[in-house]
Amino acid sequence: MPKFSGRGNRRGFSRSGGTVTVLETRVHRSSARNARVAFILTTIVIALLTMTIASDYMNPVLALLLAAGLGPIVGALVWVVVRIWPVLRVLWWWTPEITSALALVYGWLWFADATDLVVRLIVVAALGGSFAIPPVRRRVWAVVLCLFVRHRLRVCFAQFIIANQSGTLPFILMARPTPVGERVWIYLRPGLDLTYLQASAEKIAVACSAAQTVIERVNPSNAAFLRVDIKRREVLTATVKPGLTDLVGADGTPIDDTTAVIAPSALDLPDVADPAVKAAKPATTRTVPPARPAPGPVFQPTSVTSADGEDVSDLIDF
Amino acid sequence: MKRTTTAPPVGEVPTAFGISTAPDGVPVAPMLSMFDPMFIGIDEFGQAVTLDLVFHNILVGGEPGGGKSGLLNTITAYAAMADNTRLVLFDGKLVELGPWMDIADEFVGPDLEHALSVLRRLQVVINNRYAWLRAQRRRKLDRQDRMSVILVVLDELALYSATYGTKDQREEFDRLLRDVVARGRACGVPVVAATQRPSVDIIPTSLRDLFGYRAAFRCTTINSSDIVLGRDWASQGYSASDIDPENRGMAYLLAETGVPRRIKAAYLNDAEIYQIADYMAWIRRTNTTALSGTAA
Ligand SMILES: Nc1ncnc2c1ncn2[C@@H]1O[C@H](COP(=O)(O)OP(=O)(O)OP(=O)(O)O)[C@@H](O)[C@H]1O
Ligand SMILES: [Mg+2]
Repeated sequence: MPKFSGRGNRRGFSRSGGTVTVLETRVHRSSARNARVAFILTTIVIALLTMTIASDYMNPVLALLLAAGLGPIVGALVWVVVRIWPVLRVLWWWTPEITSALALVYGWLWFADATDLVVRLIVVAALGGSFAIPPVRRRVWAVVLCLFVRHRLRVCFAQFIIANQSGTLPFILMARPTPVGERVWIYLRPGLDLTYLQASAEKIAVACSAAQTVIERVNPSNAAFLRVDIKRREVLTATVKPGLTDLVGADGTPIDDTTAVIAPSALDLPDVADPAVKAAKPATTRTVPPARPAPGPVFQPTSVTSADGEDVSDLIDF
Repeated sequence: MKRTTTAPPVGEVPTAFGISTAPDGVPVAPMLSMFDPMFIGIDEFGQAVTLDLVFHNILVGGEPGGGKSGLLNTITAYAAMADNTRLVLFDGKLVELGPWMDIADEFVGPDLEHALSVLRRLQVVINNRYAWLRAQRRRKLDRQDRMSVILVVLDELALYSATYGTKDQREEFDRLLRDVVARGRACGVPVVAATQRPSVDIIPTSLRDLFGYRAAFRCTTINSSDIVLGRDWASQGYSASDIDPENRGMAYLLAETGVPRRIKAAYLNDAEIYQIADYMAWIRRTNTTALSGTAA
């Protein structure tokens, strides 16, 4: 604790008067103070609780002694946790990497124990060979980028978020590959908001070596829950299929069951006589609307009939 | 450089509905429903974009060759495969929606009088449906009613509202269409309309403003883009004039999110359209109960 007391800090402050130092000083001081407060509070609460409970079972003097011993011990534990919180946070950030590294090492050891050299060689060759298959490689690369992007986002936030007093950064939740790049969900702490991050969208893109980032709200009822879309590729130039043809199958329809349309004649200008411009109508199995008469103001109104031929004009109110 | 993807995030796309062909060759209809979200393309993150079309009208605009008819065909194909859905198609060009002629309940070509008569019939259906809903003490149709959805698709709206027929007929067309657009929504008669530039001289503003959803394919000017999307979105950076003319089928979609989204519309080529249309026509012929209409 004394290491972080006011004096050392003030010296650090005066030596390099940059804003970053100010922030760090403040963070350190608040961390030290938090740890101290946590120690005192925990000690008092645990001591009181112990005394209350223990005095039911033993002599009050013994209970007091027990409380005086137990309180500081638990308090010290809490103090340590608060004090090394930055380290724990780093461990949390690197959890996926640490877990997979441990899994790899221990998995390999177990595997080496359980099998002989030939099997090991075959498995390693198969794994290595699967990387030659482009889809597999792309999948793996996409997952690796997701991990990378979470770290870059954290670094980037640490660079530009000095908005709130204690310098707390957004909580970075999971990341998932998308066809254009990655999508990361984040949870904002008090002191930040969507527009603040949106103003720095370019900075985030730079940090992630991406083309563009788009930050949007996920949940209309919670302003703290955001989604960061990191774009590396353009998908809007692709041709999209609606997937409806899969539902009918390529050889779905018997060929003789399709409707034949008799192609009209008179397809060239000389074939069409001058005044009566009659568009030849295609004949299908269904009734086709009559061709439009010659353009002009006069238009023959027909009676209002439905497809079945029954008169429906009395049903219409004008 | 064009790549081809097939509706990428398939999990969210209606391919989950399988189709099985019965052993003796009797076709089985795919169980899509207009009441389910309809997949119409992907957004700029490659995620599926779906529309809830049964309770919304959509207006599609953009320069010639932008991809309007492509989107209309995707929507029509879905509707053609959807359970208990009727198609009413207006296509002055005959070829854009022509593949669906056999399975459409009404197909209106370049004939304004026919268009008017179909709209009048729709108006009667709408009146009757609201009377029916009132009798049921309800205000809106839902899936459980088993009443058919009548999808009205108009390609080249300008042909009907500003080109064909006499002035009176065109005015009546505007009036009837405005009524169908205004009232059809809640009783299962959604309208999908496409035109190149829906400015006042083509369709009245009062009609244009009734369309809740907008899709703006590439527009030649910022002004046209704003006309399609409905207000000065261009000043906020949403302008369909930015779209690369070579990138056909890309659009700004203004739907549920309230802010235009860049999307790429799903596209069916001619062979695929006919593959679906033929199959659905075959189903309707072979199995006449496939579309058991309960329309009032
Ligand atoms: N979603 C899409 N993906 C890929 N290509 C597309 C897409 N939509 C359209 N295209 C291409 O663009 C061409 C023109 O599209 P479409 O006929 O739909 O344009 P349009 O907007 O209806 O034009 P018009 O106003 O002349 O009717 C199509 O033939 C097709 O090759
Ligand atoms: Mg078209």
